[in-house]
Amino acid sequence: MATDLRISNISKIYPGCVANDNVSLQFKSGKIYALLGENGAGKSTLVKILSGVISPDNGEVFLNEKNLKLSSPLDAKKNKIGMVFQHFNLFETLSVFENLSIDATEDNKSLRVRINEILKKYNFSIDLDIPVLNLSAGQKQKVEIIRCLLRSPKVLIMDEPTSVLTEQETEELFISLKKFCDEGILIIYITHKLKEVLSLCDEVAVMRKGKVVSVSQTQNEKVETLANKMVGQKLAKIKKKINISKNKDEIFKVKHLNFYSDDPFETNLVNLNFSVKKGECLGIAGISGNGQNELFQILSGEIITPDTSIIFRNKEIAKLNPKQRREYLMAFSPEDRISQAAVPELKIYENVALNNFKSSNFFEKGLVNERKIKEHSKKILSDFSVNTDNVELKSQFLSGGNLQKLILGRELITAPELLICYNPTWGLDVGAINYIHETLIKINDQEKSTILISTDTEELLKLSDRIAVIYKGKLSKIMPSEEVTPEKLGVLMGGGSID
Amino acid sequence: MSLDISFIGILIGSIMASSVPLILAASGELITERSGVLNLGVEGMMIIGAISGFALMVITDNLFVAIVGSMLSGVIISLIFGFLTQSLLTNHVATGLALTIFGIGLSAMLGKNFVGIPGKEFPILFSSLRESIPFFGPILFGHSIVLYFAFALPFLTNYFLKKTKLGLVVRAVGDSPVSASNQGINVILVRYCCILYGGAMCGLAGAYLSLIYTPQWIENMTAGRGWIALALVVFATWSPIKVLIGALIFGGITILQLHMQAIGFRIPVQFLSALPYLMTIIVLVVISRDSRKIKLNTPTSLGRIFYKEK
Repeated sequence: MATDLRISNISKIYPGCVANDNVSLQFKSGKIYALLGENGAGKSTLVKILSGVISPDNGEVFLNEKNLKLSSPLDAKKNKIGMVFQHFNLFETLSVFENLSIDATEDNKSLRVRINEILKKYNFSIDLDIPVLNLSAGQKQKVEIIRCLLRSPKVLIMDEPTSVLTEQETEELFISLKKFCDEGILIIYITHKLKEVLSLCDEVAVMRKGKVVSVSQTQNEKVETLANKMVGQKLAKIKKKINISKNKDEIFKVKHLNFYSDDPFETNLVNLNFSVKKGECLGIAGISGNGQNELFQILSGEIITPDTSIIFRNKEIAKLNPKQRREYLMAFSPEDRISQAAVPELKIYENVALNNFKSSNFFEKGLVNERKIKEHSKKILSDFSVNTDNVELKSQFLSGGNLQKLILGRELITAPELLICYNPTWGLDVGAINYIHETLIKINDQEKSTILISTDTEELLKLSDRIAVIYKGKLSKIMPSEEVTPEKLGVLMGGGSID
Repeated sequence: MSLDISFIGILIGSIMASSVPLILAASGELITERSGVLNLGVEGMMIIGAISGFALMVITDNLFVAIVGSMLSGVIISLIFGFLTQSLLTNHVATGLALTIFGIGLSAMLGKNFVGIPGKEFPILFSSLRESIPFFGPILFGHSIVLYFAFALPFLTNYFLKKTKLGLVVRAVGDSPVSASNQGINVILVRYCCILYGGAMCGLAGAYLSLIYTPQWIENMTAGRGWIALALVVFATWSPIKVLIGALIFGGITILQLHMQAIGFRIPVQFLSALPYLMTIIVLVVISRDSRKIKLNTPTSLGRIFYKEK
C-alpha cells in the first residue's frame, strides 16, 4: 500500500530560537526525499518531532490522512515511523541481539530468525552476539536500520547518516536505501551534503532558519543552485589568484624529517623536505591515514623528532614545543576540533585563554585576568563572525562551523606568520566552508603563509599555490598548482606516479 | 589450640552470618547502580532499616512485621532520594551523602527509647540437622531465613540481569538513558523502581543486624558496613557473583583477624583491623582484571543526571 506522509504547519520555538516555523511538507512512498539545510536550520528538530522525541508547539502530522498524535517515541513506532538518528541510539555495552530484543514483542527465538532473514536479504554481515562497542560506525548504523526494519516501517527517516561513514560504507548504505525504497518504504534523508542529495534523492526540500524555502525535483538542481538556496544568498565563487614569485623569501624550511613509530596505527614518515615562501599556501594532499596526522604533530611540536631541522624565520625551531613555536608566530589548527583544538566543556573565553602568550597578559601573578581575556574573546567572536557574542557559552554548544571560526580566530588574532591547518573544513556546511576558505585566502593576501594539509582535493586546488601529495609517509614532488589537475592528484594519492 | 574440623565448620558458619548484611545491601545497590543511579545513602538506609525493624519488633512483638517494616522504611527513605535525584534532578553524590547523614541522625533520635532493650530470638531453620552432621551441619543448617535469602540473592540478581527482559531494560537504562528514552522506555520509572528496590534491600540488611546478628539496638550499629557494601559493588565491577565473593572475603577476614587478635599474634592490632579492607580490595581487583569485562559491566551513565527533552 502506498504511504502518504504529510506534515502541516509545524512550529517549535525554543527560548531565543525559532527551530521550526510553520513547516509544511508532503512525502509519498516510492521516492527518496532529501531534507537539506545547514547546521541549525531546523532539520533535526523536525525529525525529532516526527519520531515523537519532542512535541511541536503547533501543527499536525498525517499518515495516510490519519492525524497522528506523536507524544512519545512509542507513538512513532506504533505508527510505523522508523528513525535512525545521527548519534546512534544504541546500548554500547549490550550485545547486538540484546539491543534489538529490548523493544521486541516476540520471543527471542523467532526474533533471531527474523533478524537473520533481514541480514541475509540485505547482505549485512554482523555478529549478533558481540557487544555493540566492538562494531564499526557503519555496522552500528546497520543495527539501527535493522531495528527499524524489524517493525516493518512505512517511513524510514535517516538523520545525517553518512557523517560517520567511510566512502565504502556510504556506497553500501545508498544501495540498501534504494532497495528499501523499491520495496515501498518512504525514505526521508536528512543531510547538508549536496552531492549526496543529487546522487541519491528524487526530491529535495531545503530548510533555512526553521523554514522550508524550496521544494524541487533533484534532476532540476545542481550543486550550486542547492547551495545558494541553502545559504540564502548567492555564494561568491572563490578563486584564488595564484602567486608564485621565485624571488620571495623562504619563511619555513623542513629538512630530513623522519619519524618512526612502533604503534601499528601510526604511519612512519620518510625523509620529508619542503619549504614555504612568504605569502604562499602549500597544500599537502593525500588520503587520510598516509601520515598527515604525524606530519601535523611534528610541525606543531607535539612530537619532537631527532635529526630533523625546521628553520622558521631564520631560526632553528625543531626542538621547541607548541607553545614556544607559537611565541615565534606560528599558529595551528588541528583536525579534531573537539578534542585537540578546544575543550568542549570550557567556556569560550576559557578556551581562548588556553592559547596564551607572554605578551597577551592573560595571567598576572598566577591569577586569571578575566576581564582582559573576555575582551579579547569578544574581539575574536566579532572579527571572525562567530554566531554568538556570549563569551560565557560553553564551547560544546557551538556548531562545528562556529567552533572552527573561533579556533581560527584564536590562532589568527595574533597575526602569525605561518598557519598550519589540517582539514579545516571537515564536516562543515557550505556557508562555513566558504567563510573559512575566504579567511585562508585573506591570510595569503596579507603576505602570511599557510600550510594546508587536507584530504579534500577540491579545497586544495582552490587554495594552494603549490601542492604535494603524501602517500605512505613519503612526499611527492612539489608542483605549482596550475599544473595540477584532480586526475593527477588522484593518481598520486593512490600511490601511482605521473610523467 | 585445637583446630578440629567441627570448629572450622562453626567458623565458616559465623563468617557467612557476618557477610549477610554486606551481600544484601551490595546486591540492592548493584541493581540501583546498574540503572545508572549512584546512591551513596546505603549506610543511611541500612541504619534506618535497623532501627525501624527493632522498634517494630518491640512494639508489635512480631518478627514478620518487623522485617517487612524495615524493608518498607528502606523504601520510604530511598523514595526521598529518588524524588530528589530523578524528579528534581539533584546531584546523585551530594544527595546520597545527605541521605546517609540524615539516616544516622534520624535513627539515633528514634532509637533513644530502644537502647538497652533485649532483642527477641529469631527462629532458625533446620536446627536439628545442624548438630547431627559434623562440619557441614553448622555451615548449611541452623541459620535464619534471611541468610538463606541473602545467599540466593546474588544468583537471582545475576539471573535477573542476564536472562530476563526486565534486567535487560535496567542494563539498557544504565548504559544510555537517552537511547532508552528514545526507544520508548520510561527511564525515570525504571530508575525509581531500582532505587526503591535498593532501599528495600538496605533496609533488610539493617534489620538483619538489629534483629538477628546482634539482636539489640545500638546507636550507629551499622558501623560503616554500608560504605563497605558500596565499595564492594565497585570493586566487584558490578557483577553480583563477585559481590558475594567479596562479601565472604571481607566477613571471613574480619572474623579471622578477631581470632588472631584473641590468640595474640604478634602483629599490630591496627594492621589486623585493616586487613579485611585491604584483602577484599586486593582480591577483587585481581579477579576483575579483564578490562573488557569491566567495560561491559560498568553502567556507562552512572551518577549522571538524566533530563528528558520536551
